[in-house]
Amino acid sequence: MAGIKIKYTKTERARQKKILKVSERMLPLFEAMEKSLMATINTISDRIEQLREEIEKNRKAAEAWTAVMSDSWVNINEFISVNKIITKTIDVAGVRVQQYVKVDFNVMPINDDTPLWVDDAIELMQEQLQLLAEIECLKEQIDLLEEELLDVRARVKLFENRRIPNAKLAIRKIGQKLQDDERLTIATAKVVKTSKQREGKI
Amino acid sequence: MSNMVYLMTSLPSLSLGQVPPITIDEFNDDAKRQLSVRHYKKLQSVDIQKLNAQVGVESISTFLKKLKEDLSEVREAKAQNRQAKPERMPSSVLRGNPLEREMNIIQWQWEELQDIEAGKTFTLTEVLVYKLKLQLIERLYSFDENKGAEVLASVVNPEKNMERK
Repeated sequence: MAGIKIKYTKTERARQKKILKVSERMLPLFEAMEKSLMATINTISDRIEQLREEIEKNRKAAEAWTAVMSDSWVNINEFISVNKIITKTIDVAGVRVQQYVKVDFNVMPINDDTPLWVDDAIELMQEQLQLLAEIECLKEQIDLLEEELLDVRARVKLFENRRIPNAKLAIRKIGQKLQDDERLTIATAKVVKTSKQREGKI
Repeated sequence: MSNMVYLMTSLPSLSLGQVPPITIDEFNDDAKRQLSVRHYKKLQSVDIQKLNAQVGVESISTFLKKLKEDLSEVREAKAQNRQAKPERMPSSVLRGNPLEREMNIIQWQWEELQDIEAGKTFTLTEVLVYKLKLQLIERLYSFDENKGAEVLASVVNPEKNMERK
């Protein structure tokens, strides 16, 4: 409030009352939005953790046979690669984000002379790459939601620490000033009246 | 014939699971020096990796042809969600995880090749089988847990080849 010039008028007091009313109505909305964003971020983080556990589970399950992937006859990199990650736009807690749909793979056709393990490796790699792609999408969602959360928190602080206290202070000061002015006016009128009455007697 | 004898006696003996005592390239160089052009051409065409059945020795051609057909049958059965019925390859080799299965197949191939070369000492068949066995040894030797894990990690890399639509 320091440094802000207040106009001590009834119009200004009405304007400050309006600001206070709107701010007190908006604050709970922003607080609810903050809670919702935090809950959503936590839910997404839990999902990422679940996906990571699944990746680790798959990796451990395949550990017994990963030695075959160094087969000198096969370059598995040639058999599979990611073409595109397909996503769709959705609204999460009021923020537009990209939701994972599927991964579009480039899979090379398997010939009859290709060792059998290649089929299993492709299946495993597809599974792992899909899980990783979903994690990437969720991480990006978190980034966007955290950005929005920062914005909402700034607004909550603005209302809590600046707008509402400032409006209340302005209303109080204007009220006092207007009251003082009114008293002064009455007192002046009384003095004038008394002076006039004295002059009349003389 | 004498060249074939010289070649076979100069080569190290092979056993499955050992460190390859000689590379395929070294073997090819030796064979090129000792074999006739016609025989060397046949040697070049035989390949257990590519399962090339046109090798000029019937027993080997049949083995490679059946092996290819059996691998095809295993894949077809998997796609159709049924029990595979390979013609030559015993179903027992298909048990276990992909590594165990591949090692079983290599072991079975090795035994088949030993049957093929039995009684064919110092013949072209023995030379061709030697190459196929050497290919199996080299392949089995390439199976490595750490390298395999690195290969898997190189493919399953979230920052690689990912393009957002």
